[in-house]
Amino acid sequence: MVVPVFNEDSVIATVVKELLTVFPNVVCVDDGSADRSAAEIATTRAHLVRHPMNLGQGAALQTGLSYALGRPGGQFFVTFDADGQHRVEDALAMVDVVRGGECDVALGSRFLAEAEATQTQTSVPAHKRLLLRAIAALSPSARKLELTDAHNGLRVLNRDVAVHLHITMNGMAHASEIVSFLSAGSWRVQEVPVAIKYTDYSMAKGQSLINGVNILFDLSVKQRGKLS
Amino acid sequence: MWIQVLLIVGAVASLLAFARFEHGVRMQASKKLAFFGFVALTVYSVLRPNDVNWVANRLGVGRGADLILYIMAIAMIFLVLNTFMRFRAIDRQMTDLVRALALREAERDNAERLGAAAMRGESTPASD
Repeated sequence: MVVPVFNEDSVIATVVKELLTVFPNVVCVDDGSADRSAAEIATTRAHLVRHPMNLGQGAALQTGLSYALGRPGGQFFVTFDADGQHRVEDALAMVDVVRGGECDVALGSRFLAEAEATQTQTSVPAHKRLLLRAIAALSPSARKLELTDAHNGLRVLNRDVAVHLHITMNGMAHASEIVSFLSAGSWRVQEVPVAIKYTDYSMAKGQSLINGVNILFDLSVKQRGKLS
Repeated sequence: MWIQVLLIVGAVASLLAFARFEHGVRMQASKKLAFFGFVALTVYSVLRPNDVNWVANRLGVGRGADLILYIMAIAMIFLVLNTFMRFRAIDRQMTDLVRALALREAERDNAERLGAAAMRGESTPASD
């Protein structure tokens, strides 16, 4: 269970404690937070990895995965956002899907028909829905995998996938990077319906529309040059 | 006009150079050669400005000063791309460094905090 954390001290301890009731091994990567996030994590039984400076969510995820892979017992690797927008039971259900052996990767989707049905009064805001559906429909690799939701922070990877995944996009473009990695390899990917808890807190911390421009730029220059 | 062809080719070429070419010894060397060539040209054009005017007229540019301005614009594109690539490379190195450091400290601190069993990733339920 990998949780990238950046300035979430008001919620992180609650989120981690809830996770620990179900998942024994939780790794929190504190991505150079300026607040008390690290101290809050230290009060729990979660593993704490601290970036000495802020690098971005993609970098934090990769660090967390590298750390988790260093634990020989780990078979399944879950990415989970720190702001409390995901439900622990969704994560559990996704681990079961991967454990069942039908797929190597389970990706959370808030747009599958089943997810739409369970989504309660706090449903996906209209402008977010439009943006996220557009990304999923326009990205060639997301289309190839028949994804409905390309930017969901809840994912379950088996060990084989986690070993081969190397996130180089430090910022928010890592979500698209992961999708293109999955479609380029011969990984079996399955989407699982999940609900997102859109609280005022997670809305304030979430992706803004304008950051989409940055993500597109990062991705378009990634493919250039032989450095990558 | 020749100058239009030259400018467009120059701008596109510098973009392609960064998109395609390997940034090995050859690229490094050609950057240095280009720099020395630039310095030599500068000295020459200061000493004999009329020659620059002559070249400019051949290329369809009114004045030598305008020609130099156009060349500067191309050089600017080159410089921006060069700096961008350099920053990106440094970014990657820094990420690797920060990650290595973070992992090393975490291995040590978490072993102390959580015990050896947790470090092996065994599925023992949390006790608090």
